Amino acid sequence: MDSALIPKGVNRCPLSELILKLGPVVAVLLWGVVAMFMCWIKGLNQTNMNDSYGFALWIWADLTVIALGGGAFFTGLLRYIIGKDKLKNIINFAVLIGFICYSSALLILAIDIGQPLRGWFIFWHANVHSMLTEVAFCLTCYFMVLTIEYLPLILENRQIDRLPFFHNLSHNMHEIMAVFAATGAFLSFFHQGSLGGVAGVLFGRPFAFREGIFIWPWTFFLFTWSAAACGPCFTIMLLKITERITRKKLVKDDVVDLLAKIAGWMLTTYIIAKIIDTWYWAMVTAPSLGFELTDFYSNNPFYGMWILILEIVVCGIIPSIILISKKGRSNPVSFMTAVVLAVLGACVNRWAMVLQVMAAPVLTFEGWPMYYPSWQEVATTLLPVAYGIILVALSYRYLPVFPQEVELNPVESEDQGGKAKKAALSGAEVSPARA
Amino acid sequence: MKNDQAKKYGMVIDLDKCTGCGACMVACMAENNIPFKEDESNKLDSITWMRVYQLTNGKPYPETDICYIPRPCMHCEGDHGHSPCVSVCPATATDYSQKTGIVSQIYTRCFGCRYCMAACPYHARYFNWWDPVWPNGMEKFLNPSVSPRMRGVVEKCSFCFHRHQLAMNKAFVEGRRELEENEYQTSCAQACPSGAIAFGDLNNPKHTVNQLAQPDNAHGGQPKNPEVFRLLEKLGTNPKVYYVSSREWVRRAGDNYLKNENPGKAH
Amino acid sequence: MKMDRRSFLSFVIGGAAGTALSPLPWKVTDDLAIWSQNWSWTPVPEDGEVGYVNTTCSLCPGGCGITVRKVGDRAVKIEGMKGHPVNDGGICILGLAGLQFLYGPSRIASPMRRTGERGENKWQKISWEEAISEVSKKLADLRSKNQSHALACISGYDGGTVPRLFERFLTVYGSANFVRTPAVRDSYELGLYLMQGTQANAGFDVENADYILSFGCGIIEGWGSPVRMFKANSHWKETGVKVTQVEPRLSNTAAKSDQWIPIKPGTEVVLALGLARVIVDESLYRREFIASHTAGFDRFVQNVLKDYPPEQVEKVTGIDKAVVVSLAKTFAAAKKPLAICGRGRGAGSESAGEIMAVYALNALVGNINQKGGVWAIPDPNYIRWPELEMDAQAAAGMQKPRVDGAGSKKYPHIRNLLHRLPEMINSTDASPVQALFVLEANPYYSVSDSAFVRKAWKKIPFIVSFSSFMDETAANADLILPNHVYLERHEDIPGAEGFIKPIIGLAKPVVNPQFDTLHAGDTIIRLAKMMGDPIAKAFPWEDYEACLEETFGDKWEALGEKGYWIDAGFEPSPWNKAFETASKKFEFASDDIGASFQNAVVKAEGEESAYPLLLIPYDSPRISAGRIGNPPFVIKTVADTVIKGKNGFIEVNPKTAIALGLSEGKSAVISTPRGSAKVRIHLFEGIMPGVVAMPTGLGHTAYDSFLAGKGVNINELIGPVEDGSSGLNAAWGIRAKLGKA
Repeated sequence: MDSALIPKGVNRCPLSELILKLGPVVAVLLWGVVAMFMCWIKGLNQTNMNDSYGFALWIWADLTVIALGGGAFFTGLLRYIIGKDKLKNIINFAVLIGFICYSSALLILAIDIGQPLRGWFIFWHANVHSMLTEVAFCLTCYFMVLTIEYLPLILENRQIDRLPFFHNLSHNMHEIMAVFAATGAFLSFFHQGSLGGVAGVLFGRPFAFREGIFIWPWTFFLFTWSAAACGPCFTIMLLKITERITRKKLVKDDVVDLLAKIAGWMLTTYIIAKIIDTWYWAMVTAPSLGFELTDFYSNNPFYGMWILILEIVVCGIIPSIILISKKGRSNPVSFMTAVVLAVLGACVNRWAMVLQVMAAPVLTFEGWPMYYPSWQEVATTLLPVAYGIILVALSYRYLPVFPQEVELNPVESEDQGGKAKKAALSGAEVSPARA
Repeated sequence: MKNDQAKKYGMVIDLDKCTGCGACMVACMAENNIPFKEDESNKLDSITWMRVYQLTNGKPYPETDICYIPRPCMHCEGDHGHSPCVSVCPATATDYSQKTGIVSQIYTRCFGCRYCMAACPYHARYFNWWDPVWPNGMEKFLNPSVSPRMRGVVEKCSFCFHRHQLAMNKAFVEGRRELEENEYQTSCAQACPSGAIAFGDLNNPKHTVNQLAQPDNAHGGQPKNPEVFRLLEKLGTNPKVYYVSSREWVRRAGDNYLKNENPGKAH
Repeated sequence: MKMDRRSFLSFVIGGAAGTALSPLPWKVTDDLAIWSQNWSWTPVPEDGEVGYVNTTCSLCPGGCGITVRKVGDRAVKIEGMKGHPVNDGGICILGLAGLQFLYGPSRIASPMRRTGERGENKWQKISWEEAISEVSKKLADLRSKNQSHALACISGYDGGTVPRLFERFLTVYGSANFVRTPAVRDSYELGLYLMQGTQANAGFDVENADYILSFGCGIIEGWGSPVRMFKANSHWKETGVKVTQVEPRLSNTAAKSDQWIPIKPGTEVVLALGLARVIVDESLYRREFIASHTAGFDRFVQNVLKDYPPEQVEKVTGIDKAVVVSLAKTFAAAKKPLAICGRGRGAGSESAGEIMAVYALNALVGNINQKGGVWAIPDPNYIRWPELEMDAQAAAGMQKPRVDGAGSKKYPHIRNLLHRLPEMINSTDASPVQALFVLEANPYYSVSDSAFVRKAWKKIPFIVSFSSFMDETAANADLILPNHVYLERHEDIPGAEGFIKPIIGLAKPVVNPQFDTLHAGDTIIRLAKMMGDPIAKAFPWEDYEACLEETFGDKWEALGEKGYWIDAGFEPSPWNKAFETASKKFEFASDDIGASFQNAVVKAEGEESAYPLLLIPYDSPRISAGRIGNPPFVIKTVADTVIKGKNGFIEVNPKTAIALGLSEGKSAVISTPRGSAKVRIHLFEGIMPGVVAMPTGLGHTAYDSFLAGKGVNINELIGPVEDGSSGLNAAWGIRAKLGKA
């Protein structure tokens, strides 16, 4: 039915099967949309946030998807600026994931603010001293960059590509992509950092507060660093999931291995920096404000030392060791474990830097307020996940996301039905230039 | 001209006199059009610009002691006006006035990101989770000097800034540029039946607050009076609300201390 | 027109680009933001000319002057009146929220007749004419059956023209049953009568005392005139006056005092007598007073004090005997020591024994009618209306004993015994009360042993409430004739609880009546007129306003201008003129008194074996427990360890809780011989192990959704305990048990 839209030389399941499989995902999406409108119409009383948890699940989700979407900028940086040419085989996917993550982040922000209709005041009445202003500007700009980076891929759709205008546009965009990749990397460095700064500058919150250089607290750098380390891991994780679902190898091992190795070294250096930061904070910063490390991890039913161990040891040191060793990377089980742990590490870190910051009491006569999200918060947080799955599925189906797919999965035309043959033929017909 | 020097409005609350009666809270609600819901027992979504906390010394019966501590917005000066909340607001909806030392909040500018709430260690900022609703007829007692806030924005104690404006207008009409101490008082200070709340210009040696707190402006306004303390002094927020207590355990409850730390020598 | 793909795409993209470049999206974005700043459902208060009206607050007997800020014809804020002799600019939490009563959702908008069952809240609006004529007919009917004495009136106050008009109505109608709601004032009046022979109110010169010994008074929780006491408390802090608080729970007063002496509940009288004994033993009393101006001192010492050596006091009260001795010495050594009693805010009466023991302490140190001491404050006797002409029916009715037994042989010196009313009604087949007026009181809620009260209530055939609010009493009445609230009416407010100068405050209409209500004074005058002579004749005034003006005569204008009248030069009578007892001296002992002291300790109801704990009520300044329920602002200030959602908490010492297997926040059931209720546990180190405490003023069923259904009405759990010698309700608590829910 939709074969005319499917890239040439690849095999795709029947549309009906796709629709059937995406059914539940669409249901989740709709559930999220309902919750989203409830939040917009009835207000944020639909959430379980409160005056102690002004930031909660959504801001965590925001910080996390942006960190994990960091695969896009970092892979782009490696590919276009550093010149790791091999990564061109995964860059499309990284960009796609980045695009999903950043658009999700913007959507969540639009739900999260109390007056969405005034959201643009952040640009109009911008306070340049606010980390959030920096985040908003860089985030929006980088999202535009990602859109520009994603656009050529869309334009490569067989049917669109047939139009000379789009074909040429796509071609020209490819030429200047390095410029955008550089811009993206620059913007990303700042907004990933600013997101770290969001927590780090809170000098009223000893759990979050960090010293730093000039206006930038150490978390500024740590966040950028961890995004660069964990973002590619997320890209790899999703690649592996996609490969599992499609039952195809989509990217060659050497490409993945290269990216994983770089991510591993990033993670290693990050975790060393993180340990130094934590140690300095626990030994110098917090005590100067009257707190001992254990104060932040006791007297409450949830936030214990296990968080620190989980984040730094289990999701930091262990995946680092695996990823920097060839042996670790070559074993599929240890490799996947490391990738998943690294992703989890970013999630845990962002959780602590958002939720635990809110929870840890500062006034001596206050306790730890506890929080669990309302279903509306959960639904709106799952909404981007569902949207992401759908966008990946559609992109995979209709766009040449994985340049190595054709090579890795040669379509045996003899075994294919007439439709596939016809598709292959028509594909060949219109894009002789494609190599 | 000497009279043009900047004001630094602040408060000194005598915790020995404070009885925890809650009059300041209601005086604030009545003055500032604070909304109320059927159930206000969840203190995490209950708007109380002025909130009275209860402290306990943690000792068992009969050594137990309690003390009340009213907590308005601290109007932190931070480091030269770099208060925790003002610097983080992305839309410049909250600002530190170098003229009065008051941290303002523009409700129509605020778009409800709540970053300022995350920044404030005193929980002095409140979000309007709900549309404010006054039962039929009750909107009649709303004060026209203070605009009711809409859902989705952050609000907080303004040191009754509208009273400052009204007093300044009156003074201006009378050809004066300076206010007497009693011309500008917050609603809570005016109402307190115990006279526990003093309000005025911390920079003016004639004002009670200056005499009680003896702020050291060279050190962020730290109190020189040994019985006076500020909440979370160590954070460097430099609040302009000072507390007096003759009880050592109460003063210690004002900040966090390491196990073996002696508060007397902390600063 | 043929639309190919290319032109379609160009159209779409071109259109989008064109729209984006046009001013339209920017204009819409801007307009939406402006709309969000001006939502029609967020009210914008109307502006207008600002004005101030001075008046008197009558929400409690404190007698504070208030200044109401008005904008146009709206009252927007209540503040304390500067320069007022009682509160000088200060104001309490309840007074501040007064406008929520005026404009509140529980106001009754017009006269109403019940249509459903009592308490079903089904009403029919009726006209004033109809309402008053309905009462008139009922009362005429009752009178025609020689049952005029079956009319009773429960009133929240008895000073001032309005209650006096009601009392006058009852008298000329033929009923002596004007019953004032109880307060510690009953006990003070009794004490002054028995020991000093005067009919007066007690005044306490707290500002001039230099040492305060308080037997459980909630000095900063609403005792006396609240704002005055708050100010006094601060004054003591400034001048170094020490306060000793004796009570089983660390109340705010105890926490702010210089010395908190926890005591086994109910044994305060034993401590007071024990202190007296030490003072006598060590000859620390003021001879110049004892020798020349007291009678019965020797008998007091021999008959009474022999039973209270410090060892015995320690055994009963749980207070170390060394503490008892040193406390007595401290008290006697002070220049102007003052002992006061009346638990909590003094909302209930105390036993004669306790009040007299405390008076005796004051007498021992000679501070009766002295600077810093206890003064007898005469009523400002300004209501002088024409003599009543009583017909035979009225005279016969007035001869009948009061239904509450006050003034009878059994209870000779007592004027009001509201707690006995339910028992009197329930103990006979036909209720001795056939018609009941309720004026500025909420007995259905506030009389203890609620279940018993409800039973009695059912037996009263005709109940008329004059309440401005839908309180529990109004909700369970047959007819409501709503009064203006205090901010809509003229009224004289004589006295300020515990104040040392005779004072009359004037309440003035700050705003026009918001609803179709009528001043209760006017209602009673119109009712009298409708009933015809001889009743009508007793009310010669055209309306209440005329009555008030006539009452004050040439004082009226000055009163109106200043807002209050005060006898600023008042000094208490000197010792040689102060006492109107038979001996013309302060009487330590008489037969009455001997009897009282022998029954000094009032026991809590219930058997210890079945009910191992003691439940005591406590008053919180943030919970109004009088005739008026908490308004929304005030209920908002209540801590989440007192109410959470609809649940009320009970204060339990951790030790007690551990023994019962209960922990913070857990649900539990509190049971007493009078009832049981579901509560949640709040662990509080400040309460004596074995004692549990619950706040008064909660558990309302009427009023509005801001108040109703929150917490437990402690009157459901506590019943009256009669003081054997006086008949006053001297219950200070009840035995109880606490179990898991």
